[in-house]
Amino acid sequence: MSEEFEPKIVGFLCNWCSYAGADLAGTSRIQYPANIRVIRVMCSGAVDSVYVNRALIEGADAILIGGCHLGDCHYLNGNYKARRKMVLLKNILETLGMEPERIWVKWISASEGQKFADTVKEMVEETKRLGPNPFAKRWNV
Amino acid sequence: MTYYELPIKEDVPSTVNGLLREWLVHGKIEAVIAMQETPSGKSAFPAMVSDPDKLNTNVFAPILPVSIGTMVSKMTRVRGSTSPIAVVLRSCELRSLVELVKLKQADLNNVFIIGVDCPGTFLINTFSSYPGKGNPTEAVLNDEAEGYLRSACLNCKDPVVESADMVIGIFGADLKKNLILDVKTDNGNSLIKGMDLKVLKDDGKRKKAVDDIRKVKDGNREIFLKEKEEIKGADKLLEFFETCVNCHNCMKACPVCYCKECLFDSSVFDLEANKYMAKAKAKGAFKAPTDSLLFHITKFNHMILSCVECGLCEQACPSNIPLMDIITGIAENAQKEFGYTPGTDPEAPLPMVVYREEEFQDVGE
Repeated sequence: MSEEFEPKIVGFLCNWCSYAGADLAGTSRIQYPANIRVIRVMCSGAVDSVYVNRALIEGADAILIGGCHLGDCHYLNGNYKARRKMVLLKNILETLGMEPERIWVKWISASEGQKFADTVKEMVEETKRLGPNPFAKRWNV
Repeated sequence: MTYYELPIKEDVPSTVNGLLREWLVHGKIEAVIAMQETPSGKSAFPAMVSDPDKLNTNVFAPILPVSIGTMVSKMTRVRGSTSPIAVVLRSCELRSLVELVKLKQADLNNVFIIGVDCPGTFLINTFSSYPGKGNPTEAVLNDEAEGYLRSACLNCKDPVVESADMVIGIFGADLKKNLILDVKTDNGNSLIKGMDLKVLKDDGKRKKAVDDIRKVKDGNREIFLKEKEEIKGADKLLEFFETCVNCHNCMKACPVCYCKECLFDSSVFDLEANKYMAKAKAKGAFKAPTDSLLFHITKFNHMILSCVECGLCEQACPSNIPLMDIITGIAENAQKEFGYTPGTDPEAPLPMVVYREEEFQDVGE
């Protein structure tokens, strides 16, 4: 029997909210799947499409962009700009048939450790249903 | 907006050249930026001409080696002009120039915008060794060159310039007798002041001709979009870009690819040997040069909302990848999503510099 598919997830979490939320999940000993690799960024608005595309093309099965709740951005409006960037990215991926549903955008505050854990659980379940990223095996990218 | 008659002297290009010359001679402008044929006639390039005797423009030459939008940006982005210049450009060139102004990479101070009706352009090599009868400019003006047009021109988003000081019109004009000068602004009026031009009674002929040509292009574009919809998914995309040599010519030719220094030309992707080893082990192998698909998709993310579909990326590709086959669809969908048409309204902000609180609520929760 082949091993069950374990999705690889890359998370870009903002320094002020989502990263602190993930930290809280850890310090509160909330259990969540170890499928996510977290990269801390100063703001979700600083996540250029190139980072997300690279993760996707190199074979990440799902990607999480985590920012402060709308209106709570440490830099006032970075998350609104992040939303526009991700809308554009998802639109382009849709046109190219590159599975925009692998890109997740969540607003997670520093106090929402549980929401972070739940998000990762949900992502793992959904991505298992979706199957592996077809780019994970392609060497000729 | 008033139509004037510009009587044809020898032929169409020389008539326009005469008009520009008159403005130069009378000091209404100090220089012209327009397409000028090279001495052998095998190519044409935008030229900035200040000496009336060096003026040898052919604004209808069916060739677009570079966008005049890019050239004006190069000449004005450090500081705008302090003396009057007339820039003669096609619709796609003007649309890219408007985007560059919004990106603060061009300054239209003291610039008269003169648009020309565009009958379309050929690839550079088709122009320089034109296989058809006669000369390429005449062929394209007589509507006899459709088979030679670039795909971007066949599917042109709009061959008629709207936001200019003046448009030199061929659509709806009897090219044996006259061209139509569509003067749209006070600036345009100041250029023709003192010239002996007859007002042309608007008999609706130009509007009908313009509507007709727009209908043809829109129809072409619709069929093209439908046809190319199937280039989708990992396999087809990788096959589409298979011959890409990662030269970045498409990015350099693009008039709206705006970064002054491209991330992909930087050392960001230069890794140590053991990182390459890790990369090889991750998938078992990797292709060199690396990150071709990443380059293309990231480029789309950066420039697509300003894409004017001039097709210069496709023309610049040494591997003849028909880039417009996928860019047309991406531009169509992305621009629709943001309700933004690049290059038409100078007041409309670039979508990526503004936001509204109540929008796109299905992304992010």
